[in-house]
Amino acid sequence: MKQLPADYYQLLEQLQAVDFVLVDLTLYLDTHNNDTEAIKQFNHYAKERKKLRNAIESKYGPLMQFGHSYSGQPWNWDDAPWPWQV
Amino acid sequence: MNTLRKTWHPYVSPFDPCTPIKVKTYSTPPNLYMGFQPPGLEQFTPMEALRAGTLWKAFYDPWYSPYEKAREGQ
Repeated sequence: MKQLPADYYQLLEQLQAVDFVLVDLTLYLDTHNNDTEAIKQFNHYAKERKKLRNAIESKYGPLMQFGHSYSGQPWNWDDAPWPWQV
Repeated sequence: MNTLRKTWHPYVSPFDPCTPIKVKTYSTPPNLYMGFQPPGLEQFTPMEALRAGTLWKAFYDPWYSPYEKAREGQ
């Protein structure tokens, strides 16, 4: 039975934290258009998320579909575990 | 520091069968007192923000009931 390493959960949690920061910053920046400090932070976390996503996808397969993520060999985006099974 | 918890005094009728509750409290959100958010507010780390539910410390409001022990924050 396939067991996921603890590292998988830590990486996903970091991704979740970075996503949360990006969402909050987006909402903040909607009303504060020229807050350069927040824009710098937003870009920093956007870059951070790209790095984190690549780390996760290189190890555990694509996170998103329809071209938003590269595919592994063989075609494995529909393998277990699904997000709700994790 | 004025807290987020406000109080009000319910009307006590002379015919109340049970012992009257003289003071009742309710919790108000911090953004009520903030108005337009100033830039450069102090922030949580991403991990803390994920748990706290907000990125800025000023808006953190766990909304505890008065009976729950206030574990952290207000």
